[in-house]
Amino acid sequence: MEIKEGSPRHLLAQRRSSRSSGRGYAVVLWTAAIFFVVILAAIIEGIVSQSTRAFGHFGFGFLWSTAFNTVTNQYGAGPFILGTVVITVIAMLIAVPIGLATASFLTEMCPRRIATPLGVGIDLIAAVPSIVVGLWGLYVMQPVFLRDVEPFMQKIPVVKLLFKGVAEGPSLFLAGFVLSIMILPTMVALSRTALAGVGNLDREAAFALGATPWQVIRKVVVPGANSGILAAATLALGRAVGETIAVTLLIGNVTRITHPFSLLNPGATLGSIIVLNFGESGQLPLLKSALFALAVVLLVITFIVNVGGRLIVRKNRLFRLP
Amino acid sequence: MSDTTSAVAARIQQEVLAQGPGSVDLLDAPAAVTLTDVAIDFGPVHAVRRVTFPLAANRVTALVGPSGCGKTTVLRAINRMHDRSGGKVSGSIRLGDQEIYGRDAQPELIRSRIGMVFQRPNPFPTMSVLDNVTSGLRFNGIRNKKVLNEAAESALQSAALWETVKDRLDQPAVRLSGGQQQRLCIARALAVEPEVLLMDEPCSALDPISTAAIEETIVDLASEVTIALVTHNMFQATRCADLTAVFLLDDTDHIGELVEYGSTQQIFSSPKDPRTEQYVTGQVS
Amino acid sequence: MSTDLLEAPAPSDKDPAVAERRRLIQAAARGSLKRRRSVALGIRILFGTCMVLTLVPLVALIGYVSKRGVGALSVAFFTHTPTPEGIPGGGISNAIVGSLLINGLALVIAMPIALLVALFLIERRGPVANVIRFGADVLTGIPSILIGLFAYAIIVAHTHFSAYSASVALAVLMLPIMIRGDEEAMRTIPNELWEAGLALGARQSRVVRSVVVRGAIPGLVTANLLALARAVGETAPLLFTSIGSQIFSLSLNQPMNAIPIVIYQDGTTAFKDLQQDAWGAAFVLMAGVLLLSIVGRIFAARLTRKTR
Repeated sequence: MEIKEGSPRHLLAQRRSSRSSGRGYAVVLWTAAIFFVVILAAIIEGIVSQSTRAFGHFGFGFLWSTAFNTVTNQYGAGPFILGTVVITVIAMLIAVPIGLATASFLTEMCPRRIATPLGVGIDLIAAVPSIVVGLWGLYVMQPVFLRDVEPFMQKIPVVKLLFKGVAEGPSLFLAGFVLSIMILPTMVALSRTALAGVGNLDREAAFALGATPWQVIRKVVVPGANSGILAAATLALGRAVGETIAVTLLIGNVTRITHPFSLLNPGATLGSIIVLNFGESGQLPLLKSALFALAVVLLVITFIVNVGGRLIVRKNRLFRLP
Repeated sequence: MSDTTSAVAARIQQEVLAQGPGSVDLLDAPAAVTLTDVAIDFGPVHAVRRVTFPLAANRVTALVGPSGCGKTTVLRAINRMHDRSGGKVSGSIRLGDQEIYGRDAQPELIRSRIGMVFQRPNPFPTMSVLDNVTSGLRFNGIRNKKVLNEAAESALQSAALWETVKDRLDQPAVRLSGGQQQRLCIARALAVEPEVLLMDEPCSALDPISTAAIEETIVDLASEVTIALVTHNMFQATRCADLTAVFLLDDTDHIGELVEYGSTQQIFSSPKDPRTEQYVTGQVS
Repeated sequence: MSTDLLEAPAPSDKDPAVAERRRLIQAAARGSLKRRRSVALGIRILFGTCMVLTLVPLVALIGYVSKRGVGALSVAFFTHTPTPEGIPGGGISNAIVGSLLINGLALVIAMPIALLVALFLIERRGPVANVIRFGADVLTGIPSILIGLFAYAIIVAHTHFSAYSASVALAVLMLPIMIRGDEEAMRTIPNELWEAGLALGARQSRVVRSVVVRGAIPGLVTANLLALARAVGETAPLLFTSIGSQIFSLSLNQPMNAIPIVIYQDGTTAFKDLQQDAWGAAFVLMAGVLLLSIVGRIFAARLTRKTR
C-alpha cells in the first residue's frame, strides 16, 4: 500500500504533517527507523572494534595462518576457514540435489492435496532448534557413523581416498552430514517457490505437445526457474555457513589441519572454535581479540553469500515482469 | 428487441448471407473428432453435460457461448488436458476410430495428434524461436536436424510467420510482439503435424489488427488441419467458422450444455432453438 | 475470403509430403513413448525417494527426542533447581524461568521497535526505506553467534555477564522477522480503511492505532510468534551474554540459566543424570518451539482466509 500522489491520503498526510500531532507521529517513526540503522552499524562496529588488536598484531596474514597456540599466543584463521568450507561443501553436495528433487516432486509430481501438508510438515520440522539437532546427532548419528557409515565409505572406490585413517568420533563428515539435514528444509521451501513461480501456462503448452512430466520439468520448468533455484541454493549456503551450535557438538575441537587430510578427521569451523575457546579467553586478551577477528571473517563471508543471494532474487523478480 | 440488438442481428444476418448459398452437405462431411454424450465433472461439481457434436474434417468449427458455459472445458477434454486437473470425463470422444479415453489410449500420443493454442501467447521463455517451434517434435523423440528444420520452416510458413523470423531463428522467442508470439505458438503446435488443432480464444490477448491477421491464418489453415475454435465473439465465428456449436448454461442447475449445432450460416440466420435465437440476437450477453 | 469458406477443400491431406511427415512423426512418437514413460516413472520414484529421505531423519529426530526426553520429565524436573550428579531430585526450574524472563524481555524490547519500523516502511518510500529493508534482509542472514558477540562487545565487555544482555541479543535476532511480518500484515489492510479514518478528521497516529494495527492483529501475532519461536531455541547468543547459572535467580543484572544452555552444558558431560536433564530440556524446548510455530501458522492461515 503506497501513498499515491494526489490521493486523499496523501493530501491529508501533507496537511497533517504540518500540524503538531502529525509531526510528532512522523518523528517517532523516523526515530525508530534511524535507531534500526544504528543497531545495524553497531553490530558491525562492536565486532570489528574488538578484533582490531588481533588484526593489528598479525596483519592480513591472520587469514591464512595455521597457527593456533595459547601458549605462544599465535593465532590464525586458516584451519577454521578450511573447516567451514569443507563441511559446507559436504552439506551442499547432499542438500542441493535432494532438496531440488524433493521440491520438484512436490510441485510437479504430487497432487496438491498431499503436497501442501507435506510442505508444511517440512517447514515445521525446520523449526527444531539447532541445539536439539546437535544433541541428537551426537547421541544417535555419531555412533551409527562410527560403526557403520564411515567404514562403509572406506570401501567405496575413489570416494575412499577422502576417508583415510581411523574414525574416532567427531568428524568433518559427520558434521557436514548433519548440517545437510538442517539446510534441507530451507532448500526445499525456496526451491518450491522458484518452481511454482514458473507460469502454469508454460507447463500446459508443453503437456499439450505430448510431453511427459519429466520432460516438462527438464525442458520447461527448471530452465524457467533457473535463477530462483540459484537463489535458493545461495540462501541455503548462507544458512550452512552460519550454523554454529550443532556443528560445534559434532566436529571436534582441533586447532590445526591434520595430515593426511581425511573427512574422518575432527576439525573446527569459525563458529565452533569461537564457542569452544571463548570461556578461556578471559585471561588472554589477544586470544579474545583473535576470536573476534574470526568473527569478522565469518561476518564477511556471511555477508557476501547472503547479499549475493538477495541480489539474485531481486534480479529474478525483474525477469518476471512481462 | 431493442434498436441496438436488432441492428446487431441485422448485421450478422447480412454478413452471413453475403457468404453465398448455404451448403447443407457440410453437416454430412466426414468428422475428424466425434463427441457423444460427453459430461465433465470436477469432483462434486458438474461442469458440462449431454454434449454431442462432431468436428468436421478440414473445417473450422466454432464453439461459442457466454463465459463460464463450458466451451473451454469441452475443448480441453478433447486433448485430455483434464487428466492433470482432476476433471472426470464421461461419454465418448473419438478421434477417427480411436476412443480418446479408451483403456489403451496414451495421452501423450493423443496430444501429439491433437494440438492446442492457448488464450495468451505462451512461447517457452528460455528457448529461441527455432527451439520453440521444434520443441513438440523433440518431446516426441525426433532428433534429426534435417527433419526438425524442414518441419519448422513448413510450420512457420503455415502460420504466416516465416518471412518475419527466418533471419532471427536463434533469437529468444520472447522478443517477438504479441501477435507474432501467438503465431509462433500456432507454428509450434503445427510442427508435429496434428490432425486436429484446438484453439482457445487465441485472439483474446491481441489487438484488433493482429486479431484480423490471425483470423485470416485460421481460415487458411483449415485445409491442413481440422480446427476447433472457442470464441465468445460471435462476429469472429461468422468470419472464421464453417460450423458452430452453441453452448449455454442451463438456467436451473447452471450446468453447461450444447444447445445447438449447425452451419454457422444456419445458426445465425435461422436458429432452431429459441435459446440460440436469444443468444444470437444479443439478449443473452 | 468469405466465399472460400463454403467451398469444400479435399478432406484428405493436400500435400503428400505432409502425409509422409505425419507418418514419420507418429512413428517416432509411438516408438519413443515407452522409453519416455519409463524414464518419467523412474524419475518420479527417484524424486519421491528424495522426499522420503528429507522427511525421515527429521521425523526420527523428533521421535527419539520425545522418547528419551519424556522419561526425564517429572514434577521435580519442573520445580527444582539442578542438583549435582548422583543426587536425585534435580530439575531445571531455574532454566525454565530464565528462558521465560530472557525471552519475555526480548519481546518487550523488540515488538515496539519492529512495529514502528514496519510502519515507517509502509508510510515512506524512497532510499531510506530501501536501505532499511535491505538491512533487515541482511540481518536475517547474520549468524546468531555474531549477534551474541555483538551483545558481549557493547554490554558485557563494559559490565559483566547478565540476563538483560541476552535479551538484547535475542531482541536484535527477532527484529528482522518481526519487521517483515508486521509490514506484510499491515499491507493487507486496504487503502480505503486508512482514507476513511483520515477523512473523518482523525489524527494520523490515531487512525493507525485504532484502524490499521487493530485490523492487522492476526498477522502481527503471527510475526511475533514466529520470531519468538526462533529466539527461544537459540543457544549461541546466550553463551556469550547470560552464560547460565546453577542457582535460581530472578535478577536480570546477573547471569541466568536458560533451557538451551542446560541442553548444551549437560548434554556434553559424561554424567548420566545430567544427560537425562539435557534430554528432558531438549524435549521441552522442541515441543515449545513446535507449538509456537504451529500456533503462528494457524494465525497466518486465518489471516489469509480473512483477506480472501
